[in-house]
Amino acid sequence: MTIDTTDTEPKLLPGDLAIWFFIFMELLVFGIFFIIYAVIRIQNIELFNEYQLTLNRELGAANTLLLITSSYFVVRAVQAIKENHVTQCIYWIYAALASGTGFLILKSIEYADKFSAGINLSTNTFYMFYLSLTMFHFLHVILGMIILLAVAFKAKAGAYNSQNYTGVESGASYWHMVDLVWIILFPLVYIIR
Amino acid sequence: MKKVYNIHTIWLLMIVLTLSTYALGKLGYSGVIPVLFLLLTALVKGGLIIRDFMELKDVSLLWRVIMYGWLWIVCIAIAVTYIISI
Repeated sequence: MTIDTTDTEPKLLPGDLAIWFFIFMELLVFGIFFIIYAVIRIQNIELFNEYQLTLNRELGAANTLLLITSSYFVVRAVQAIKENHVTQCIYWIYAALASGTGFLILKSIEYADKFSAGINLSTNTFYMFYLSLTMFHFLHVILGMIILLAVAFKAKAGAYNSQNYTGVESGASYWHMVDLVWIILFPLVYIIR
Repeated sequence: MKKVYNIHTIWLLMIVLTLSTYALGKLGYSGVIPVLFLLLTALVKGGLIIRDFMELKDVSLLWRVIMYGWLWIVCIAIAVTYIISI
């Protein structure tokens, strides 16, 4: 009689371990950035409350919905490849990329509005944080989309199947991290006062 | 229960929570209770992403401590700074 330990053994991290160390580093940087924002706000409460009202909450909320939905599409892509549905996996990744593109477009509209009003990093402390935090995140959305695009191309070339999908999981994990960061960033910068 | 709690309903729940966050901002509420509600909402959404989207619910404790620990530390730190400034 043998004892089956497969149910009690913890699962490995999905995807490549290297992408997880990258994710942990990114989260550490964003986490420090968020806490610095909250601490600096204590000394500038009136300024932060006043200029927070100038932000476009509708676009911020729409962007949150887009990122959550794109994460959902990526989950569907991982499910599809686990079932060996390569074409479906690619289509779900394309859907996630479309949502990501929507995020970039809405964010660009927001930036265009602010820049045309003469707002920049040196306007005041609140805008310095708003622009640097959201632009830093914006760059991560672009990087996440490049990774997802590479995963889609590799999937199209036949690199993934139900036995080998580490690359899909790695790309998915990074994309979820981008979503996770925005989940904190949106209420912190746009809503909480 | 398993049938109700799935990836589709998790996505819907996160959509609803996001809309509640937006509504609270639109109504202009401020103070300890709204701050705690908004951060609790972020905690729930972040927890769902870590648990179900990233699929970390069954990985070793170390990885879960790192991910949930990050989420809780950030939210608690934000809560403390906002509450002491109210």
